[in-house]
Amino acid sequence: MHKYIIRRLLLAIPVLLLASLIVFGLMRVMPGDALTALMAESGNVSERELQKLRKDLGLDLPYYEQYLIWLWQMVSLDPGYSIFTGEPIPVALKKAIPVTIELALSAMILGLLIAIPVGVLSATRQDKPSDYVGRLVAISGLSLPDFWLGTLVITFAAIWFGWIPPLGYVSLWESPWTNLQQFLLPAAVLGFRLSAATMRMTRSTLLEVLREDYVRTAWAKGVGERMIIYKHALKNALIPVVTIVGGQLGTLLAGTVIVETIFALPGMGRLTVEAILFRDYPIVQTNVMLVAGTLVTLNLLVDLTYAWLDPRIRYQ
Amino acid sequence: MSTATADSATFEERMPDQLSRGQALWGVIKRKPLGLASAALIGLLVFTAIFANVLAPYHPLAAYPEKRLAPPSWEHPFGTDDIGRDVLSRVIHGSRISLWVGLLAVGIGTFAGTIIGLLSGYWEGWLDLGLQRAMDALMAIPGLILALAIVSVLTPSTTNAMLAIAVVIVPGNSRIVRGAVLSTKQNPYVEAAQALGCRHLRIIAKHILPNVTAPILIIASIWLGNAILIEASLSFLGLGTQPPTPSWGLMLSSTGRAFMEQAPWLAIFPGLAISLAVLGFNLFGDTLRDAWDPKLRRRG
Repeated sequence: MHKYIIRRLLLAIPVLLLASLIVFGLMRVMPGDALTALMAESGNVSERELQKLRKDLGLDLPYYEQYLIWLWQMVSLDPGYSIFTGEPIPVALKKAIPVTIELALSAMILGLLIAIPVGVLSATRQDKPSDYVGRLVAISGLSLPDFWLGTLVITFAAIWFGWIPPLGYVSLWESPWTNLQQFLLPAAVLGFRLSAATMRMTRSTLLEVLREDYVRTAWAKGVGERMIIYKHALKNALIPVVTIVGGQLGTLLAGTVIVETIFALPGMGRLTVEAILFRDYPIVQTNVMLVAGTLVTLNLLVDLTYAWLDPRIRYQ
Repeated sequence: MSTATADSATFEERMPDQLSRGQALWGVIKRKPLGLASAALIGLLVFTAIFANVLAPYHPLAAYPEKRLAPPSWEHPFGTDDIGRDVLSRVIHGSRISLWVGLLAVGIGTFAGTIIGLLSGYWEGWLDLGLQRAMDALMAIPGLILALAIVSVLTPSTTNAMLAIAVVIVPGNSRIVRGAVLSTKQNPYVEAAQALGCRHLRIIAKHILPNVTAPILIIASIWLGNAILIEASLSFLGLGTQPPTPSWGLMLSSTGRAFMEQAPWLAIFPGLAISLAVLGFNLFGDTLRDAWDPKLRRRG
């Protein structure tokens, strides 16, 4: 297992370095530089002021130096300032990250609460009306855009119940009730989208496991249906589900961008979209890199968990 | 006698492996109602996009301020927007943008991904290692966020959204093609071609590529739905198609959200159009997989 962990860690480092190069490169291929674009939009800035800003931000240095400085800033957790607000990026992130983590976690929990029971029902009632309904729900989750679902949910909650979620963000510790009202709808929208793939995976792996010899033996022994499904089959069927849940982390993080924008939650996603719209490139490159780092780390953890659960993987 | 039996065997009686790809696909479409539904949805989308000028009752940009925010009626079946433009005509014309962006983005992304996957899988070694680590790095950034970052650099427009989506498609695609090439390479006919002294390019083009087209087409059809969804998401965030061009995502964000309580039809119809288009391609991807995936075919 140690060897496997070391090998995976060594593979993660070049991936992260390459991702950082891509992110940095992207921000530098902009015609002129980020500052020229920004100033062109705001207008009325003298060349001298522009030169000074460029120097302050280190944009007058050669690219490789800029990259190394930025890399060091990222490693030392000091990614600089926002061009637009002048706020230090760690301060902005400290406010935004808890919102995104809470949204992502609650969406994931809600997603699993929808996906696994529906997946089990679909597999155990294969080709029956409940299976078709389950599969239709799953494929709808993959097809309905979350920004549409979010818009409809807000509007119909307002029209039918005369209720709109409280604006802004109040932490769970400050006021659990307000926090719940703020997160219920966004987490449900995101969770519904996430549940689709997990539901399909649960259904297909459970169908496979239910055809295994040991399940047939259990049937032959006269074991009850509930016992066979939950005790014998589901446990094994859930192992590949761990991977699909891990694989959905990207969808989850991308989903937060849209959902936070619609529900006006001040998380990482909204911060990134606003930074893109205002061309606040230090925030954009820091956030994108942070998301890539989180994704690589979480995927690594998922793979390690999977290897721990299934010894065949680590010996491959 | 046996020949006569084989000749007269019905489609369903023949072994799945004896069927051509077209026959296998047609068989699944006929057998499974969802396959037929996907074909119908895609057919409808393509038909609408091609004949948008004929089908749309009004010009998509023609504004009739006296009829602003009119609810659905015989005259305007999907109602009108805040400046009196016919929503049905805009939804019909929006299908062009979605289909165009989807097809081109998936075309470019699939082409680039296939080339990288073929090179990576055929030559292996350092080239494979380098290319695949670069693909891993691209995959480390979630698709929508990567597309957002690319569009932010290139300035928002339909073409740039399309290019950004194409970049998002490349890594996953190259990985699937690489896997297929690695397994196809093990076949004796490839070794025979190498032993006969065939050039690499000929082996790749004549012997490997035809055998990896099934996974390429399956993944492309699934990506078409995703590409439409990403374009709509980018337009919704103001980073894709720009006004006044009718794009489904833009229609939802610009007027759909602002007038949602007063005029819910402004958000309902474009959202429904996106959902049906994506649903069509997702179901079609499933149908293709059922028809062409050897594992699923053997299972019947």
